[in-house]
Amino acid sequence: MERTVTHPSFFNRLSMTVQTHLPATIVLGFSVLLAVVIGVKTGPAQLINVIVTGGMWALLAAGLALVFGVMNIPHFAHGESFMIGSYVGYFVFTALNNHLKENPNAVLGLLAPNIGVIAALFVGAVVGAILERLIFAPLRRRTRAGWVMNTFLLTVGLSFVLVNGTTLVLGPNFRGIPRYYDVPPIEFLGVRIAVDRVWAFGIALITIAVLAFFLQRTRTGRAIRAVSQDETGAELVGINIGFIHTLTFSLATATAAMAGAALLFMFQAYPTVGLKPLYFAWYVVMLVGLGNVYGAVIGGFIVALLQTATQQFIGIAWEDVVPTVVMIIILILVPSGIFGSEVKGIQEQ
Amino acid sequence: MNNQNGLWKRFTSGLSVIGFTPFGLVLMILLALLPFIPPFNQEYILRWLIMGAFLAAQAVAFDFTAGYISVVNFGFAAILGLGAYTSAILVNTSPVIKVQLGLSPWISIWVGALVAGLVGLGLGILTLRLRGIFAAVMAWFVGIALMGLVRNLTGLTRGPLGMNPSSFLETTSNRPYFYIILAMLLVVYISLKLVTRSHFGLAFKAIGQNFDAARASGINPTYYRVFNFTLSAFFAGWLGGFYAHYFGSLTPQTLMHTSKTVEVLALAYIGGRGSLWGGMFIAFPFVFGIEALRTSLPSDWAGFHLVIYGVLMILVMIFYPAGFSGIYDWARAKLASLFSRSKTQEQEV
Repeated sequence: MERTVTHPSFFNRLSMTVQTHLPATIVLGFSVLLAVVIGVKTGPAQLINVIVTGGMWALLAAGLALVFGVMNIPHFAHGESFMIGSYVGYFVFTALNNHLKENPNAVLGLLAPNIGVIAALFVGAVVGAILERLIFAPLRRRTRAGWVMNTFLLTVGLSFVLVNGTTLVLGPNFRGIPRYYDVPPIEFLGVRIAVDRVWAFGIALITIAVLAFFLQRTRTGRAIRAVSQDETGAELVGINIGFIHTLTFSLATATAAMAGAALLFMFQAYPTVGLKPLYFAWYVVMLVGLGNVYGAVIGGFIVALLQTATQQFIGIAWEDVVPTVVMIIILILVPSGIFGSEVKGIQEQ
Repeated sequence: MNNQNGLWKRFTSGLSVIGFTPFGLVLMILLALLPFIPPFNQEYILRWLIMGAFLAAQAVAFDFTAGYISVVNFGFAAILGLGAYTSAILVNTSPVIKVQLGLSPWISIWVGALVAGLVGLGLGILTLRLRGIFAAVMAWFVGIALMGLVRNLTGLTRGPLGMNPSSFLETTSNRPYFYIILAMLLVVYISLKLVTRSHFGLAFKAIGQNFDAARASGINPTYYRVFNFTLSAFFAGWLGGFYAHYFGSLTPQTLMHTSKTVEVLALAYIGGRGSLWGGMFIAFPFVFGIEALRTSLPSDWAGFHLVIYGVLMILVMIFYPAGFSGIYDWARAKLASLFSRSKTQEQEV
């Protein structure tokens, strides 16, 4: 007797994938549709806007997701890391700019914005490490009961302190720059794009790529992922948990600070500048599932698409209302996000 | 002697039903007399007292959710603002906005409370399936959406320009307002205390401590959680009505912003979670300390009091999660053990 082995056809496999990832398929399909509508209605300029903004939301949300995945901290003060970065970027860049006005130097002129971003990266890393050692490490030693909720409220307090502390020291005034690179916009697909935007997108892309390489390919990065999967197991194989936590928090703060410095031409530095980036980073992580780092990268673009569509078709004043309502619906239907996340401790009360 | 003892016992047990110890009652009477005692009868100190009572009542309503069913209502300020705006729209008579009903503030604050209660009911239903951090984020998103609505429906609310609703009374003295808010504080505290002393309180605590165990022992979490949210939101909206008709100026930013929720949250946590009276008690010394600090600070130190606010909250959360009511319980237990020891010694002698 001959037995026929039936291979699932491509369409069968596709339909199975769609069924198991129904929420993700619906959201992705809807996003593509929205992108087409925007592209047809308003031209490719807005799509490029989506890509540039999306890169930054992706970078911010990846840091947020990393902190939740590894340390189980729902980080409410992530926007303040952004704020620290924009201040550092501002001070470093204006100092360099003043220096350049007196003695022009083409190479330094090209490098100046990058120096600002790298300075923000370092300051963010140091601030993140200090905050982790000062706040979360003592709490961890004290109690692990109700950790997720307690750290959430703790970061709320931290955000409050950082915002008001900055107001106290630097005042409530806005500090901004008109642009980083004073050159005419470049032409791409018949659209004129400011060089600053391309540059900022490049920074986001490079940072995400480096972060992914670090997490996937290096020993320390693997240790970080091991801690996010199983903390006890990681400790058993000799990973220094305390160090991994400090490093993770420092990384997240540093990437957010970088984003702040890179977007200085869009977001001027002032004490509450971090609020909007915080909102959007949170939309992203709630959309894709708390703690899902790679999902956050895709989610960043989806949220940017939603934001741009709202600006175009409803009005700029509604740009945080519409995504909020969408996220409320997502939270009702799929609380663990469209890509789901298998993060420890997520069901903790 | 025995009879007197019996009377005293009956008196104290009667008091404890409405949530007062004899000492607490004395404090409350003292508070009610304060506006006639010299340093406190000045108008600016009366304003502090009103602010204290307003924050105290908010802290009680907030703690009713956060301390009992362990869901942090991050949209608390937005719900309070909704009550305030509803009431302000209903009393409006000027043609700057579309609705000109010209109701009395004494009626409209109840309508505002009902609307807020309805939103609380909706929020309770929305957060039903969610736990811990997800419920908090859901409430936060709902709060952002509400604030966005108020900001954008300029025909009703004048948006960021703000509204100037008429006051309760025509007097410019603060003393009558102090008695209004004191009465409101007592109503909020006593009614919520009565609820938590009934079997509802037990059910709330059971749900808050272990959701699954509570459900397994026959408590219907749906009913209790929605009830809790509705009641808390109702009182929040009611207090919002007081804000509208006392301060006479409403903007989305000063009333519904997340940072306003954080202020109440800090107070409730410093006062002690799940005690109701902790936040209420601590609000008065807090407002006085903060205001005294603020007025004695040089002008370039503006905002320093807010930093202290946040730092205190962080310190309490890390090192003394029981808050002020925890200190009180500890001191009482110590005293009681001292007394019982001296008694047994007497008996031995």
